Amino acid sequence: MNLRRQLLFVSLLALLLPWAGCEFIRETESALRASQQQMLAGTARAMANSMAQYVEEYPPRLGEAKSSEQVFLQSLPSAPRIDGYFNDWALPSASQRVLNGLDGPVRVVIAMHGNSAFLFVDVSDRQVVYASGETLVLDDGPRWADRISLVNTSPPYLDEVYVFAAEAPGPIISYKRDSSGFKPEPAIEAYWQDVPGGYRLEARIPRALLGTNLGVIVSNTSNVTKAATRIATFSGARPGPSVRNAAELEAIVATLVDPGTRAILTDAAGWRIASAGALSDETTRASRSSGWSYRIYDLLFESGEDARSAEPDPSGRERQAYVSAALNGREMPAWFRSDESGRAIIAVAAPIASSGEIIGALILQQGTDAILSLTNRNLSRLINLTLLVTLLVAGSLIAYASWLSRRIRHLSVAAENALLTETLHAALPSALAEDEIGDLSRSFSYVLRQLGDYNAYLRSLASKLSHELRTPLAIVTSSLENLEHESLDEATATYTARASEGAQRLRRILNAMSEASRVEELMEHAEQEVFDLRAVLSSTTDAYRDVYTERHFELDSGTGAVPTVGSPELLIQMLDKLVDNAVDFSKPGDTIRIRLSAEDDANSLAVTNPGPPLPERMRAQLFDSMVSVRDGENSRHLGLGLYIAKLIAEGHGGTISADNIDGGVAFEVRLPRQDSR
Amino acid sequence: MAKRIAIIEDERAIRDNYAAAFRREGYAVDTFEARAPALNAFETRLPDLVVIDVNLKDDVEGGFELCRDLRARSTDLPIIFLTARDSEFDAVSGLRLGADDYLTKDISLPHLMARVAALFRRMEALKKPESANSSIRRGDLAIDTERMTVHWQDQAVGLTLTEFWLVHAMARYPGHVKNRQQLMDAAQAVLDDNTITSHVKRIRRKFIAIDAGFDAIETVYGMGYRWLSE
Repeated sequence: MNLRRQLLFVSLLALLLPWAGCEFIRETESALRASQQQMLAGTARAMANSMAQYVEEYPPRLGEAKSSEQVFLQSLPSAPRIDGYFNDWALPSASQRVLNGLDGPVRVVIAMHGNSAFLFVDVSDRQVVYASGETLVLDDGPRWADRISLVNTSPPYLDEVYVFAAEAPGPIISYKRDSSGFKPEPAIEAYWQDVPGGYRLEARIPRALLGTNLGVIVSNTSNVTKAATRIATFSGARPGPSVRNAAELEAIVATLVDPGTRAILTDAAGWRIASAGALSDETTRASRSSGWSYRIYDLLFESGEDARSAEPDPSGRERQAYVSAALNGREMPAWFRSDESGRAIIAVAAPIASSGEIIGALILQQGTDAILSLTNRNLSRLINLTLLVTLLVAGSLIAYASWLSRRIRHLSVAAENALLTETLHAALPSALAEDEIGDLSRSFSYVLRQLGDYNAYLRSLASKLSHELRTPLAIVTSSLENLEHESLDEATATYTARASEGAQRLRRILNAMSEASRVEELMEHAEQEVFDLRAVLSSTTDAYRDVYTERHFELDSGTGAVPTVGSPELLIQMLDKLVDNAVDFSKPGDTIRIRLSAEDDANSLAVTNPGPPLPERMRAQLFDSMVSVRDGENSRHLGLGLYIAKLIAEGHGGTISADNIDGGVAFEVRLPRQDSR
Repeated sequence: MAKRIAIIEDERAIRDNYAAAFRREGYAVDTFEARAPALNAFETRLPDLVVIDVNLKDDVEGGFELCRDLRARSTDLPIIFLTARDSEFDAVSGLRLGADDYLTKDISLPHLMARVAALFRRMEALKKPESANSSIRRGDLAIDTERMTVHWQDQAVGLTLTEFWLVHAMARYPGHVKNRQQLMDAAQAVLDDNTITSHVKRIRRKFIAIDAGFDAIETVYGMGYRWLSE
């Protein structure tokens, strides 16, 4: 992993910033919400207590009837026309009570407006059987027709049924049946309309006719001769009390409720009997600004229940969990949130108890605009800022890392170059920087300078050493030569001879050591002459054949003169070194190849020999002074041969290189072409 | 009367060794370790031959100075540089100052003795009239083996002892390639390849100074040199 990636990784930690901010806001929000909920719950409890004193205003306790079978009387803001259509009823379709009919659902709704009650029944019926004069008012055989009955009782005084049956679609006359029998009821206006798959009945009944208990029975038959099936809103013989708005309670609640708060009063079964107040306009109107920060908000925060389920239930019965809890005597806060409107509502329900019995529940709902808008504004600022900061931090870290790694890379490239080209005193990049890279650069420079000095020392060591050793050697040799003239016994003469031999070897070594400096000196003063390198090579190769009789020499120099500028003697000396090297690393009988080829930009002179490959680690230093890849046993070599070859090649403006080839080693010298002079 | 040889050499061991060798050959030897005492002694009497080390202790170029002084006093006094300084530049400097030979301390005592003897022989020969039978002629080249002089197109070519021996060895059998070992033996010296190359170049230059068209010495690359005779 390079430096840049490492720092990119580290910069990801900056993402913790927005996370921490969101966490903070989430905490704040839930704390604020909790406190608002507590306050609201306190208010609800207080209101519930005061509402408990109007116990006589609450619906009476149910007898045998089931609370789920009670009919809820909706309120209509305007009176619909009696025409069999539901679309002018200002009620949602969910306000209709759905019963399971024979041929499909049967929907029933009863609503109040002014002094009238309105009935709407939608029956699914594959086969509508119209009434005739005979069946118009009868419903117990032997012939039957489709009909709808509104059971209207006020126990124990009133017990009657309004019957709606049609001889044909259109306005119909309803009949009232009571203990005295059937008679038309002209005060009721009714309309029967056929629709595909069934029929609808819409009717207006004066409020004064209605008792406390209401129920609807749909009698469905497919044939006049078949007994009708009863589909009813109640299961017993008589319907339970209908649920109607408790106007007195509603008036009291309206005086207690705070602005921006909605209060709903239910009876013990959860039926809504009063509601007052409204959520603030802001809550209902506030539409959330769209944008990515809000989407992030939605991702980060708990979203609450759907705000629509906080609305009063169209069926009239509040069935939210927190309401049920209150009706069971427990308090449970709830909150709702709408993705579309940005509305958040907190809701509490408090039980209303009278003499140890729960007679209803008080629901309070309040918008949480303050919290939401606060958090949203803060949040979007926070998210924007921290993301910006994160990007900025990551960006600058990456830029910094790039800069840093570029400097280090430059430094390492420069150091490598300095090593390769041996410009060891060259200035390295960042040498003046005061940071650690500057230190590194200076250390590098120092090491390279030391290396350069060391190399220079090595180069001069040989000639200096040979120069310094020459005088003491002269003392030894001249003494030995004098000694030869003395009369020596046999043993002494032997030792003297050995000493002379040693001195001779020492002298040869010293000569080899000073050769490099002499070559350098010669190169400075050498006269440049133009000569045919091919002819020189051909004559020199012949000489090698005479000298190294145990090797074969193969010269491949093509035809035609290869004019070269320089010193033929020095180039031969260079070739001597390469051939000497090739001979040393090959075995008797091997063939040493000398190849001269004129190329576009240079004359290439190569000497190849079979033998062991060059060790990789020595490749770079092969041509340095006093570096030898030979084993220690071969002591006549001081590692100066190839160094001298390099000196001569470079002195002629050329280059020298060594390569392992298949089964051997090739040394190549490239000399610049000088075609004309 | 024995020939007097003066040795100016700062290294006592070498000085004494050389002196012993010369004395063994029958020469009278004076030894000096610095320039000043040598010059003092030479005020009263010049020796017959001087062997000088270039580097005399702190007097780095002392040998050269001494050579210049001596040459000023006598044009024919044989002077030999014997030094550890083996650079081409030093050799050329020494010979320009009029030294008869420039030798490095590699030289063996027998070789040194041979050279000294040869120089004395040349001095003797110069005093005698020219004798025809000691001369070799090869075209434009004339070699007097007694006097150790060489003429090209009848003009004297000023050669050092080493150079003379090299020319003599090559010209004796024209057309024959003389390899380096043969040339070394002829010159009574152990020389490395580069030194022989330098000598041959210097010889060529001296001939060319007389005759710009001189090309009698041919380099046979990888082998050696030969004298071409038309």
